[in-house]
Amino acid sequence: MEGSVVLLIVLGVFALFVILGYNRLVGLRNTVDKAFASIDAMAKKRYDLIPNLVATVSKYMEHERGTLTDITEMRAKAVSGNLSDNEKVDLDNKISRAMGGIMVAVENYPDLKANQNFLQLQGSLNEIEEQLSAARRAYNSAVTDYNNACQMFPSNVFAMMFNFKTRRLFEITEVERQNVDVKSLFG
Amino acid sequence: MKSLNEFESFFEKEMMPDLRLLDKRRKVIVRRSMMVVLFSVLALLLLVVVYMNFGKADGQDSNILWFIIAGVLIVVGGIIAGSVWARDKTFYTDFKTQVVERIVTFISPDLTYEPKNHIGSDSFQRSRIFLKNVDRYNGDDMVQGKIDKTQVWFSEVKAEYKNTTTDSKGRTKTTWHTIFKGMFFIADFNKHFQTSTVVLPNRLGKGFLASFFNKMNLARREKHVRLEDPDFNKHFVVYGEDQIEARYVLSTSLMQRITEFKEKHPNPLYISFVNSFLYVAIAYNKNLFEPSYFKKLTRFSLVKEFFEEIQLAVSIVEELNLNNRIWTKQ
Repeated sequence: MEGSVVLLIVLGVFALFVILGYNRLVGLRNTVDKAFASIDAMAKKRYDLIPNLVATVSKYMEHERGTLTDITEMRAKAVSGNLSDNEKVDLDNKISRAMGGIMVAVENYPDLKANQNFLQLQGSLNEIEEQLSAARRAYNSAVTDYNNACQMFPSNVFAMMFNFKTRRLFEITEVERQNVDVKSLFG
Repeated sequence: MKSLNEFESFFEKEMMPDLRLLDKRRKVIVRRSMMVVLFSVLALLLLVVVYMNFGKADGQDSNILWFIIAGVLIVVGGIIAGSVWARDKTFYTDFKTQVVERIVTFISPDLTYEPKNHIGSDSFQRSRIFLKNVDRYNGDDMVQGKIDKTQVWFSEVKAEYKNTTTDSKGRTKTTWHTIFKGMFFIADFNKHFQTSTVVLPNRLGKGFLASFFNKMNLARREKHVRLEDPDFNKHFVVYGEDQIEARYVLSTSLMQRITEFKEKHPNPLYISFVNSFLYVAIAYNKNLFEPSYFKKLTRFSLVKEFFEEIQLAVSIVEELNLNNRIWTKQ
């Protein structure tokens, strides 16, 4: 009789432990997903600005026509949906690089640099770039918390039991470092 | 930004004559205060003598004499004290308008100085740096104006809370505790944002327990924000309502700049970002911009100290790069 009560208590405590551990992992994973979704939202905001940018810039820039059409095509592909997460990140990096190139080329067009419309666009783009970088940092921080939970004892036991996989961190790409330079050029 | 050398030559050429006059007034005040103290002590001694002689038959005449002398000393001392007070009343305000105000306008002609004004308690509480209810609030030395593209306001403030206890006999005792004393600085931040982010000194340091307690700050509605800069984390702990906006405001370069600022100035530093405004609180143990009566006013070291304290507040704009308006907020 006594023995079964003890067994029951031990089982109960164990079950509680499992439930709490499992819920914590789910909570952390949801934070990661939410953070990834906000990166996506920021990227969309940037796509929305591209047609405007192309329209403003194309009047002035003659030698960069090719780059501008490239950007427009890439944007169309990005907003069309049905891309995997990895493809999204890839495309996003390409767009970043192309836009960085345009911003550097602006230096050669003094008229454009004085254009009020363009200056405002440039402000918005800088802002979104900074928000995007903030979202990526938030994502990395959430992933670190989640990965820690997946790899550290005792939560790693539940992670294995319920098949929680670690996620990859967003690496700060070469492109992004370059973007920072571009910003300071126009500062 | 004005250099210390520029300021020294300004001090020699422009401020010295006024400082000499003020110093003369200071000397008169000190001398007369000493006389008041001396007279009071003498009068007290005489009264003691009168008291000891009281009732002795042979001491009556001299008693009256001592009594009269003591009375005269008290009256004369009172008159001197009154004249000291009349001079003293305007001494500090004159010092502030002739010295502190000129330092402020020397640093930037776009700044204005009001010795008796201060940052309002509503702004102080809006900053969300100190959550304790403020029961007594005062301050002085308000400076405001534009530094290039950035509007700034700063002043000395002191905020306190009251603690009332009742003992077993029903007597109540009130004690006052300081929440914050020092320089409070507000600037129009160069980015738009809606939520609040608070940067507080990291009192617990590194390690598992420290990060555990830093994480659980139950008093705040802002949640702990774990940032990636280890030097920054050594000095500060950050709470924010929105994880992404906190990082948008605290960009990697801003974290570096704040760390550098902190490493230059050892005073406790509190920062917050609320509704597109930046709030900075720098704690000081002393009263700012108030000279001592017992030290010479014409020393360069005195005005240098005031210059550096104002310059420190003004330098926040440059050190944190607030004039860099490359975003949509102009």
